[in-house]
Amino acid sequence: MDPQLVKIAMGGLAVLGVIGIVFGIGLALAAHKFHVEVDPKVEAVKEVLAGAQ
Amino acid sequence: MVRYKSLAIFVLITLFITVSNVWASAGSFIKKASFLKKDKIIIFFAGPVDKKIVEDIDNYYVYESTDPDIPLKIKGASLSEDGKTLILTFTEELNQHSPHVVVIKKLVSAGRNLGVASFTVRKSYAGFLFSILIGAMLVHNFVFTKYLGLCVFFGTSKRKATAIGMGITFTIVMVCSAMISWFLYNYVLKPLNLQFFQVVIFIGIVSLIVQAVDIILRKINPFLFKAFGIYLMLVLANCVILAVPLLIVVNGYNAIEAFVFSLGAGLGYFLALFLMSSVREKLELANVPPSYQGLSIAFITAGLFGLAFMGFSGMSIF
Repeated sequence: MDPQLVKIAMGGLAVLGVIGIVFGIGLALAAHKFHVEVDPKVEAVKEVLAGAQ
Repeated sequence: MVRYKSLAIFVLITLFITVSNVWASAGSFIKKASFLKKDKIIIFFAGPVDKKIVEDIDNYYVYESTDPDIPLKIKGASLSEDGKTLILTFTEELNQHSPHVVVIKKLVSAGRNLGVASFTVRKSYAGFLFSILIGAMLVHNFVFTKYLGLCVFFGTSKRKATAIGMGITFTIVMVCSAMISWFLYNYVLKPLNLQFFQVVIFIGIVSLIVQAVDIILRKINPFLFKAFGIYLMLVLANCVILAVPLLIVVNGYNAIEAFVFSLGAGLGYFLALFLMSSVREKLELANVPPSYQGLSIAFITAGLFGLAFMGFSGMSIF
């Protein structure tokens, strides 16, 4: 294997990994900060319904 | 009140400096210089100059600021009657997108030797930015001339209120994702030779922005969130949003130009949605034949809009 290609591949892996982690943490923080209370009854009713659609 | 006044004056001065075409560096004797047609440069002097010296072609050294060692060939120099306006004609067309440096080796006015004058002629950058904005908005409108993003376009253009909300969301998502993509492309992908990853990374950025808008909008404005319904998620896989960063890469824009381009694209989409929704609200009252009702008449309307927008094609500003 050409070491140049290995280097590029490693760079790609690192970049994608870092971007994924950063975006994930950012979204998790945003979701935590802008959390909306959802009525638990909605989920319960959905659970009981047939749910074909 | 005074603070606002000084701020306004400051803004005006900044605008004036940006808009004015030329920085006369050495010779304050040169009032103004700009491009004229495709192969001419026009120079205005503060006073009458000596005709014999000024009309000598060897008296000039003109080059593009990027290649100082390649002089441009001058065909002729002609002075006006009052001796204040000079037109330089070149043998070839000038590349007006890059600034040109003009050096006048000797300048004599009313017997007084003014020495060497050198100055730069350039197109105004504000005008260039404006042409990018108008180009992305009208001339190359993403819906009517590039036929991108049609699913959301037909889906959300039934009501004016939805169309306006969707247009604003689109513009925000577009500008944010284009700026982040531009930054990542130029400072991460390019140095690491990972340009072939651009599509994957751009899609990731778009989905990040859409998810963030989804989370924030759900909290801040639930009514608008409900109005968007499924279409907010449709933004995620929308081709316009992906096309903007890709086109920015292709055109090699810098940060300001990328911002203006994405803003223009967003506003163009907003405009298209608004126009279409206005027409479709009126169409509901019209007596449309049964076989044309609904989406088919909408397609015909969009086609007519496309024809109308063809009127902008080939238009160039500045």
